[in-house]
Amino acid sequence: MNFMNTFLPFGSSLISFAFAVVLFIRFWQRRGLHLLLWGIGMIFYGIGGFCEGYFGAFGWNPLIFRLWYLFGAILVAAWLGQGTVYLLAKKTWAHGLLILLTLGSIYGLIRVFGAELDPNLMTTSLHTGSEMSGHAIVSTGVRSLTPFFNLYGTVALVGGAAYSAWIFWKKRVLLHRTIGNIMIALGAMLPAFGGTFSRMGISGALYISEFLGAVLMFIGFIRATSPIEETEEDSPIQI
Amino acid sequence: MPNKSKKLQTKREYPPFWEKFIPVALIVIAVIVVFLLIVIISVALGIFPFMR
Repeated sequence: MNFMNTFLPFGSSLISFAFAVVLFIRFWQRRGLHLLLWGIGMIFYGIGGFCEGYFGAFGWNPLIFRLWYLFGAILVAAWLGQGTVYLLAKKTWAHGLLILLTLGSIYGLIRVFGAELDPNLMTTSLHTGSEMSGHAIVSTGVRSLTPFFNLYGTVALVGGAAYSAWIFWKKRVLLHRTIGNIMIALGAMLPAFGGTFSRMGISGALYISEFLGAVLMFIGFIRATSPIEETEEDSPIQI
Repeated sequence: MPNKSKKLQTKREYPPFWEKFIPVALIVIAVIVVFLLIVIISVALGIFPFMR
């Protein structure tokens, strides 16, 4: 147990749950299905972080491993991305994609919880981050689900945030939303990068990137929803 | 007429720092997204099986 592999993922988990609470409160006050879906996505993010922290403190057990793989590796990006789809796409498209995502998630749940695990690959001896992959899942067709969910999630969440920022920038309006969306896009990309680096043997890259990703997305959301008070010096220049 | 031509010349701008920072950030994000998509698609196709 150390700061990097235990406290950092627990920290990510705590921030994610706090962010989810903010999103649920906002959903309660304003409605908007995107807020509810982002909240669900951040709950998944928090579950993933909690499982990693648990792994750092006590090692894997099959339940924690399956929870981590389902929520942390497969579902989180796609459900966050689904929130952005509701914000940007036509309702009929968004409803259709939500039905597909829900069915896909149920299928993923059945496959992950029904998968055979190799206990020898759920090692606790190395903390290079290399354990944070699905190698312990030996049943075929389970790990191959991950890239499809992540492809959808990355395109929708990062692409959606970057597209929104670009639209605001092009019109030179709502600077706070431009900045907030850029932070959300960067925060959403960090865990994907951390995962890649951790599998290349860079110790702790995943935990650091997940922590920073949660912080950036949280700050980005607060920034995007809090208008900047414009002073004469800061206000958009009229030429 | 003078008012109309003045109106046409009006262009909103963000503060100077953000005018420079935002396009750079958006280009960086676009490049990273393309890289991530290549990695994810490669994983899906089995080219980088170690990455999942």
